[in-house]
Amino acid sequence: MIRKFLHKFRASDRNSYWFISPYVIFFLAFTAYPLIFSFILMFHRWNIVSPMEWVGLKNFERLVLDSLFLKSLGNTVMFLLIHIPLQIVVALGFALLLHSRVRFRGLFRALYFLPVVVSGVVVTILWQQLYSYDYGVLNSVLSSLGLPRMPWLVDASFAMPSIALMATWKNVGIYIILFLVGLQDIPSELYEAAAIDGASRSKQFFRITLPMLNPTMIVIMVLSTIGGFSLFIEPYVMTGGGPMQSTLSGMLYIYNQAFYFNHMGYAATLGFALALVILAVVVIQRKVIEKDSVA
Amino acid sequence: MASVGIKLHLLAAIALFLGGCSDHRESAQISSMELTYWPAPNPEEIRLADTLVGVWNRLHPDIRVRMQPIPVSQSTEEVLLAAIAGKTTPDVCSNILPGAMLEYTSAGGLIALDEFSDFDSVALGRTPKDVLETFRSGDHYFQIPWKTNPVMMFYNLRLLEEAGITKLPKTYGEYLAAARTVTRDTNGDGQTDIWMGERDIRPIWWQRLFDFFPFYIAASGGKTLFENGSVAFVNKSSEEVFQFFQDCYRNGYFPHTYFQGGDPFLLEKKASHISGPWEVATLRKFAPQMRYDIVPVPVPDDYRGPVYTFGNFKNIAIFSTTRHPREAWEFVKFLITAEHDLLLLEICNQLPIRGDLTANPLFGDYFRRNPKMTTFARQAAFTREMDAAPDLKEIFDAISQEYEECCVYGKTPPAEAIRAAAQRTQLIVNWNK
Repeated sequence: MIRKFLHKFRASDRNSYWFISPYVIFFLAFTAYPLIFSFILMFHRWNIVSPMEWVGLKNFERLVLDSLFLKSLGNTVMFLLIHIPLQIVVALGFALLLHSRVRFRGLFRALYFLPVVVSGVVVTILWQQLYSYDYGVLNSVLSSLGLPRMPWLVDASFAMPSIALMATWKNVGIYIILFLVGLQDIPSELYEAAAIDGASRSKQFFRITLPMLNPTMIVIMVLSTIGGFSLFIEPYVMTGGGPMQSTLSGMLYIYNQAFYFNHMGYAATLGFALALVILAVVVIQRKVIEKDSVA
Repeated sequence: MASVGIKLHLLAAIALFLGGCSDHRESAQISSMELTYWPAPNPEEIRLADTLVGVWNRLHPDIRVRMQPIPVSQSTEEVLLAAIAGKTTPDVCSNILPGAMLEYTSAGGLIALDEFSDFDSVALGRTPKDVLETFRSGDHYFQIPWKTNPVMMFYNLRLLEEAGITKLPKTYGEYLAAARTVTRDTNGDGQTDIWMGERDIRPIWWQRLFDFFPFYIAASGGKTLFENGSVAFVNKSSEEVFQFFQDCYRNGYFPHTYFQGGDPFLLEKKASHISGPWEVATLRKFAPQMRYDIVPVPVPDDYRGPVYTFGNFKNIAIFSTTRHPREAWEFVKFLITAEHDLLLLEICNQLPIRGDLTANPLFGDYFRRNPKMTTFARQAAFTREMDAAPDLKEIFDAISQEYEECCVYGKTPPAEAIRAAAQRTQLIVNWNK
């Protein structure tokens, strides 16, 4: 049996295995092993220090009764509901501007992309300063205009929209690029034909540009949804999940359970549940969008 | 001739090798008699540890102790758990929170001190039996009681007098009545400058050890969160505590923000401050001009009886990684002698857990010179410790979240908030069973 296998494992193949080995090793160490270990952890209680203790389905029982996890999911959904439409509108707007024959187009593209490459923690700290109730630039501007100060991060109803606004600013550059690619793929003949038929600019936008950008929209919505469910750095640095847990995202809750309370097993269970939620949302999202585009 | 030369070289090599081995063994023996001691990382306790370790090393040149303050982190408990996981624990640590004992012992991080033959005589010679009993973990003692810092209420006398208050508030009613006149805008800019009190509004679990928890112990006549292993804080006392803090925030007696640029009590911007005996030294150092007094934390208006509080105990333990348990135990005994307890008072202004604290003439002179500390020494007899429950950090976090929502922001009624905190506590307890 082994001889047969070794016979098949020809010299030429052997070289190719060497070439793929770095990826395979990386995959086994950083993807397969953590996945398997997380799966095992879901049935254990483990605080890193003590030996692992088998608890059967106890972590799942807790998950079902855990209202805080539901709240964290609700907060994440609230973030997505603000962040995704805002992101699409802003990114599309800038992409349309950059697609036109504007001067210094390259410079603007680079400027819009700059926040994407800046460290998330740096951006978050910067915005935390901007949002500061007492000393922030935003409230200073409002005060100088005679307007009341806004409780950007210190009021439960303002905190998550403030974070969504910041996340949009941080990530919009990448979506501008995606929309630009989509816009460049639209054949110019369509616009020429529409212009000859007397279609106005707005009609061209709603009848040609938007439908032709549908595949790009799907990509952006899926990416934004997955990215939104991974919301962590912003609430972790800016609010710690407060005030009144209004910015406690699913990821932050998992982090707290794992590294603040040392409940590794329960955190693994929460991670599994969150992965299922993301999968369900993305599948539903795709079905709805595809159905709409067929219709 | 050549063979003789070779033999000589060989002999020399063997001699050198054996010599090296012998030297190495000797030095290993010397270095192996070194103990590592971790005190709390605050300047006073480091100074005390420095002094005690210096004396010990002079008296015991064969068992040297190396003092290293606990690495600074968000909490000592996190550092110690990480050290247990990494097997990098010291031999002895004197900043053991009794509430975290379960985590340490279940990880096998500590050795049972009652296995030393003289444990009973040493422990009972210093600490009353009923107090010692509260630190038992199952059948064993993994810690020896060291010091207590009863949480009490400090009042700034000048700020109270300026508002016409001459009697220190001792009940919720008196406190809130005083707050109405004390909290004020002194320069007419529309912003409050003097507050009755202030607490960190962030829902950090250990902050509740300095507001909700001591107030609950006081209001309930000495109860803690659990009774016979069951959640026991859904009652009138806990609701009254939440109601009291809600009133403080809702009426604007406590600010909803952080103070920028220093401690508001030291700066005389707030009239009351919940703290422990270490605050006396801080005030002496940073606000020597301040006139203040210390009383037990306020209680509900209809409360009768002795006022209990959170004892904030810190104890000493020996870690199971020690290679010299006997020597480590000798060092622990050295730390808790009456003379060194006096040093704990003198240098740190913290109270040793001794039955004879107010009666022993050795401490008499200290208390005469520091009358404020006598108040804490008297309160020490009426203290309670955190329950020995698993996941206390998460339980206090659950209470903190409800405290924030109910007391700070006034979004939920006290009874509802207490019920929600208890429900989550029960969920945590059940999960740990």
